[in-house]
Amino acid sequence: MLKNLLRSAKANMSIYESNDDDEYGLLAEFSNPATLMHAAEATHKAGYKHFDTHSPFPIHGMDKAMGLSNSRVGYICLLGGITGLALATWLQWWTGSIDYPLNISGKPFFAIEPSVPVMFELTVLLSAYAAVIGMLAFNGLPRPYNPLFYSKNFARASDDAFFLFVATSDEKFDKEKTTAMMKELGSLRIEMIKDQGSVNVGNGHHDDDAVQLIEEIETVA
Amino acid sequence: MADIKSNSFLFWLGDPLRATKDEATESYRFTGGSAWWVVPLVVGAVLLLASFAGGFADHKQFFFSYLVAWSFCLSITLGALFFVVVQHLTHARWSVVVRRLAEALIWAFPFLAVLGIPIILGMHDLYHWTHEELLDPTDSHYDPLIAGKVPYLNTPFFIGRLVLYFLVWTFISHRLYTLSIKQDINPDASIRGKQYKISAIGLVLFAVTTAFAAFDILMSLDPHWFSTIFGIYFFAGSFVSALALMIFSNALIQKRGGMLEGIVTTEHYHDLGKLMFGMTVFWAYIAFSQYMLIWYGGIPEETIWYRHRLEHGWEYHSAVLLVAHFIIPFIILLPRGNKRFLPLLTFMSVWMLIMHWFDLHWLAMPILDLAQNGHAGFHWLDFTTWIGLFMAYFGLFMYRLSRHSLVPKNDAHLGASLRFTNS
Repeated sequence: MLKNLLRSAKANMSIYESNDDDEYGLLAEFSNPATLMHAAEATHKAGYKHFDTHSPFPIHGMDKAMGLSNSRVGYICLLGGITGLALATWLQWWTGSIDYPLNISGKPFFAIEPSVPVMFELTVLLSAYAAVIGMLAFNGLPRPYNPLFYSKNFARASDDAFFLFVATSDEKFDKEKTTAMMKELGSLRIEMIKDQGSVNVGNGHHDDDAVQLIEEIETVA
Repeated sequence: MADIKSNSFLFWLGDPLRATKDEATESYRFTGGSAWWVVPLVVGAVLLLASFAGGFADHKQFFFSYLVAWSFCLSITLGALFFVVVQHLTHARWSVVVRRLAEALIWAFPFLAVLGIPIILGMHDLYHWTHEELLDPTDSHYDPLIAGKVPYLNTPFFIGRLVLYFLVWTFISHRLYTLSIKQDINPDASIRGKQYKISAIGLVLFAVTTAFAAFDILMSLDPHWFSTIFGIYFFAGSFVSALALMIFSNALIQKRGGMLEGIVTTEHYHDLGKLMFGMTVFWAYIAFSQYMLIWYGGIPEETIWYRHRLEHGWEYHSAVLLVAHFIIPFIILLPRGNKRFLPLLTFMSVWMLIMHWFDLHWLAMPILDLAQNGHAGFHWLDFTTWIGLFMAYFGLFMYRLSRHSLVPKNDAHLGASLRFTNS
């Protein structure tokens, strides 16, 4: 039960578990943002849940194509803001009228007026922190180890290549069928990535043993 | 270039350009009948006439009510001018499809200048500093503070400043309005540069004139008191109400008139809503900044202004202002979904328009009560002048919209605006 909960929470952060054969998932390369978006839409429509896209730049409309709901960071941010507001109100009251009451030109020890700037600043500060931390948490970051790094080709995700990744942990995942679907969607290159987290791979980068090339289409120059 | 000047002076107040509607793309046309502008104009005229009649019974009340109503329309127009200027300066893409609304709003300056005549006629009732006896050291009413401000606060200079403000505003808005409509019938590539240029000059002129207009028209009602942030306070409310009126009128012509269907989308409403939300917070920020500094300083000449607004029933108005002009809109407009839900956003735009009027009422009316030992509240003239003036203003706004394309169809960024999404 707890294990399942943890697994789905991690899947929400795009951290997937590999199957018994240590297979992490299929990495399919696409030639441009449009085909990637189309592929993501088709993958979502086919009922896949554990999949992700990787591109060198944000693609407008991709979250919609992937069927992602609106980000929940806002709620974390709101919680941070409320905490900041409460903390600042307490700070102003406790320091001003309990811990060290000082008479400053006859002003009350605690009043809302001079406290508002502090309340405002702490609200903003903590909601900003909450937003950044919440964003990182929902994205599963920082993530120094990701099996996808084994693929030499995957480095191009920050340069000129567009990837769709389908995890083996997805209920719908079937090696043959998923491969066939990626092929049909126009993937240029499909790799099976193996999770060798237990194997020492030196600097943690490319490891050809972990990558099994399934399909490659010769691109016309 | 085709001549697009209108020839009749009376109609010049409504629209300085000839109708270009026939040249507009079909889907951008105003399809409503003339009732769209005739009805508000007639309702406005009737209410204003009733107010004038009421003014004979209580002219002091009339002038104060009228000042609030007139400032309300003026501030919306100023907010719209700022909107247009900023869109050009930032080369904004998202706003192109809604920009024509703001462009139609800004040609209200000449009309408001004409309707400003009652303010000049009522100066003696409105502005305490116009009373001669305050300046005479031998008189028992001598007021050294006001006498010391005579170089600035004197009738000829005051009227001269108002004339200057309106000349500047009319000049900028005439330029922006005609350039944009010229572009509709003649896609001249040089127009964009001209719009940019007048916006750059216009922004600077706008900032100075708006601040000083706020000092003159509203702050000098209480000539002892001064606050350097007052101009920004007025501007913040202006921009909120201009955005609110844009949202409201857009929703109105879209849902009641069936115009701009699929052209102005949820995405554009969302952005207008975001700006309205942001400016509501900005208004509160400025209002509080003014209040806190005066509270902290605790100097009697400054605190007295708030004192007047915290007694004789005005404390309830102040509380309503805080809750309904800031806290409620803040909570309602904060979630993304609410800004994308048009009925709620339209409701909030009407809400903000009412609150902006309430804010101006709160600025001006305690002065009248002070002079008459009155109590907080509303007089029927407050509503008839407000609704009357606004209806006439709105009627002419619709009149301008009905004569031209509802969208600047040759704007370089129109395509980007039509495709715009908040992702």
